Amino acid sequence: MIRLQATPPSSVDDAIAMLQVAIGIEFGTLPPYLYAKLSILPGTNEPAAGRLTAVINQEMIHLCLVCNVINALGGSPQIKPPSYPCTLGDIGPPGGDPLPIHLLPFNPDAMAQGMAIEEPEEVPPFPMLQSVALDGGAMTIGQYYGLVDAYLATLPASAWTENRNQISDAQFFPGQLFAVGDYADAHQAISQIVSEGEGAKDDPLDFQNELAHYYRFGEIFYDKVLTKIAQDPGYQWGPDPLGVDWSAAYPAIADPGQHDFTQDSPEAQAAQDSCNAAYSGMVDALQRAVNGEAGQLGAAVRQMFELRMAAMAALQIPLADGRSVAGPSFVYTPGSGAC
Amino acid sequence: MSVLDTPRLYFSGEMVWDPIVTNNYGPDPTQKPPFAGFYDEDACIPLPPGDSVADFRQRAIDFVDPANWNPHGTHRSNFLAQISGVDTGGGLDWSDPVVGAPADFLGMLVDAEPYGTFSSQLFFDSMRFGVDGGYRIACPRSFRVMSRFVYFNRNSYNTVKAGVASVIWQTSFPKDAGLQLDAHDSPALQALATALEDPDVLGLTVRWNTYRTIYYDDPTITTNGGGQLSIDAQALIAKLNIPNSFQPNPARSLMVGVVGLWRQGEPACEPGDRALLAQGAPFQQPVGTAFTRVTNGALVVDLGNSVREVDAEVNKQQLDALSVCAMSADGTSVVQVLGTIPYSQYDREAYVATSGLVTLPLDPSQCDIATAAPLQIRSGANVYLAEAVVAPSNRLLRPAVMTQQNIYMDEGDAAVSTGIQVLDTGYATTPGIQVNRYSYDDASGAVTPVDTASTDSNGIAWFDVAAASAGAVDCYLFTVGTDAAAPATLDPQTTCYIYVRTLPADADIGAMEPTWENVFNNVLAKWNAMAPCMDNWLWLNDPAQVHAYGGILKKLTDSSAFEAYRYMPVVRDMTQGERTLLYAFLDAPLDPQSKPFKAVLAQAAPEGRSALPESTRLSRAMRA
Repeated sequence: MIRLQATPPSSVDDAIAMLQVAIGIEFGTLPPYLYAKLSILPGTNEPAAGRLTAVINQEMIHLCLVCNVINALGGSPQIKPPSYPCTLGDIGPPGGDPLPIHLLPFNPDAMAQGMAIEEPEEVPPFPMLQSVALDGGAMTIGQYYGLVDAYLATLPASAWTENRNQISDAQFFPGQLFAVGDYADAHQAISQIVSEGEGAKDDPLDFQNELAHYYRFGEIFYDKVLTKIAQDPGYQWGPDPLGVDWSAAYPAIADPGQHDFTQDSPEAQAAQDSCNAAYSGMVDALQRAVNGEAGQLGAAVRQMFELRMAAMAALQIPLADGRSVAGPSFVYTPGSGAC
Repeated sequence: MSVLDTPRLYFSGEMVWDPIVTNNYGPDPTQKPPFAGFYDEDACIPLPPGDSVADFRQRAIDFVDPANWNPHGTHRSNFLAQISGVDTGGGLDWSDPVVGAPADFLGMLVDAEPYGTFSSQLFFDSMRFGVDGGYRIACPRSFRVMSRFVYFNRNSYNTVKAGVASVIWQTSFPKDAGLQLDAHDSPALQALATALEDPDVLGLTVRWNTYRTIYYDDPTITTNGGGQLSIDAQALIAKLNIPNSFQPNPARSLMVGVVGLWRQGEPACEPGDRALLAQGAPFQQPVGTAFTRVTNGALVVDLGNSVREVDAEVNKQQLDALSVCAMSADGTSVVQVLGTIPYSQYDREAYVATSGLVTLPLDPSQCDIATAAPLQIRSGANVYLAEAVVAPSNRLLRPAVMTQQNIYMDEGDAAVSTGIQVLDTGYATTPGIQVNRYSYDDASGAVTPVDTASTDSNGIAWFDVAAASAGAVDCYLFTVGTDAAAPATLDPQTTCYIYVRTLPADADIGAMEPTWENVFNNVLAKWNAMAPCMDNWLWLNDPAQVHAYGGILKKLTDSSAFEAYRYMPVVRDMTQGERTLLYAFLDAPLDPQSKPFKAVLAQAAPEGRSALPESTRLSRAMRA
């Protein structure tokens, strides 16, 4: 679980600052989820790959929705890629360490990490979380968003600007991405983000009756389909297996950003350069897209595909040990992208 | 049983369409520039000698205003829909727990007959209602989704591009071909599961209607040409001109649908039951063809594709009082008015709630009459919809294509047999009924008799369909009865028809030296030009990439994967010769001297043929 610390916002600037932190989380989950998905051998683990793809797409939508809210409030969203491993702002449990976020290949640890990131407030290991939430203590991502939402509800209509740098679903993510022009839109956006990530209270389904992220990772981790049952608690893991084959993955190293590629072949180094160039290009285009250059979203998507192609190549080039490969390091170099 | 019987599920929402449409704009002699097209299709030159992929792509962008609305399309088409209600026999019910479950579908939109607009289809792998582990109907594909009964007079308010039209889409899923139904405590799903045990039930049919299509995600565009359409087009052009970017521009339709039982004798991919045919001049009928069935003490009428929308809020046209009439045996005089359909049963709210299905309760004697008599829906003497009566027997016969509305063949293929199911008051007819086949020439409009066949014990007449001469698209129309008149034209509201597309063998291409130049110029260049979305997956002009992903390319282009969602090319226009040449290149070591292409197709034509395939087949095959 990611635990965030915040006090209730008392100004629009406070709310924007909190939403900026949320952008960091939404964006920061993408590289670890992508790393796991990209490392699945092509043509294998289709149920798991499908679930990961759905989660990744929704995280990208969440990112855009948060940016839409910030823009509607008059702010300027900033995409700030972290270096991995990182903590995404987690403060950790009382007396414990923050949750480290690694780039892990497709394996049970990667799925457990996904569950930990998306863990809902209804199943927390620390039952006092709810009561401390409004005291400026630790809170889940959902509670954090709730704090922002509660403040936004108090804003007058004049605090909102319609059609300011909004990204709609006209080109990508039809039906799931929408412009924010007032509190009702912002509330819908926040509800969607929380619901898709954590699910409804006491229910693994989100507002669209699809499984929330935590449970999608759970299905892969347990290799069991989360199945409806007549008796309490309403669902169980299995009996049907999801069909996970942990061996059907590239032997990718964890956290390639910490790997010293100077000892590897020129091909491996070039592959990393290609990945990082595409990633940087994607970030740069996305930064422009969420600040009013709508056409740059198409450039960001294009770079995303470039990253995928570069990653596919990188994952087939042995490292110096002759046994392992590396996926994309997700190292961002400002202005170095291809677009 | 059919989708007009119970139990059934209703679903509604939107459908998103993202086809490449660049290939829709060859020259049109009836238009003046700039509407006359932007590439010389008649001279078989989507990509002329000396031209480059980059130049072609730029022309495609420049032509967005006025016409080419989606040069970066992907063909992907999907539902944004959910189950909106159920009916287990007691009427519309929203309390069933499956209501609200998502309806998931993702397919690739492809036209078979590029010059016509009557034959779209969706290639897909599976359809799902509900979620894994919960309430669920999981449907692996057995038949691609076909569109039929295109209604070109559907929307009087929105006439932009295909916005004016609506379409029926249908496919069916045999119960013994992987269909899974997880009912849990849903009475509707439990009822479906029970009904599937009936030997007369083959599986499930899914039928839906798409209507009110908008472009540029802008519902304010309601007419073609100029104004807001041009403003939006220019904005898209600006995006498309951003270097190295991907700018899809999907269209969207509203949709309503129904999931019900597929019984013996019913076509898989177009409506069965009895047809109440649209009346009036082709393409101008005031009400679109409907389907009907007497069942469970009522007459159920599928008006899903019938009543027009008249404003931006997609309100339905309020027609004069609609009387449902039982006619005399020859269909000429009213015997009994069975009832009336009030506006409240087909207005916008009712339409969305029951996906256009209207139920008219009948007493037992009326049921008997309605079961046997020709039916009409009319307002006074004004006939909107009428069941066809086949002379001289006065039987209520109509033809329907069993499974293969659009047939793809390669030059040299053996003939295939396709079945025309003859329905008699909605059920498979008796043996010995004559079915007549005609060829239809889209260019001239000529309808020419071809042959006839008689129904077998299942009420099916079988026709051999031969591969056409290289590159041709054939269209066949069908009527029933020895005295049937030939159709005056192909009216998609009233005509039973199939298309047959034959690709040339291209043996000369297959015999070429498998050099990169030959492979690119003769196989890959046209897709590289026409489908910029491919850049997202593979640089088709890069020999190293093409060669490196040879295994995947062969898997995706293998003819055995023809029905699959991921089959490539999406428009299914790879000839045997092209496949042979491509595979020979992929199987051989890559010549290190092979370089990515920029300008292409400048070399002289091989003796005996042009440097490019003939325009007709090329342009036809490349349309989406």
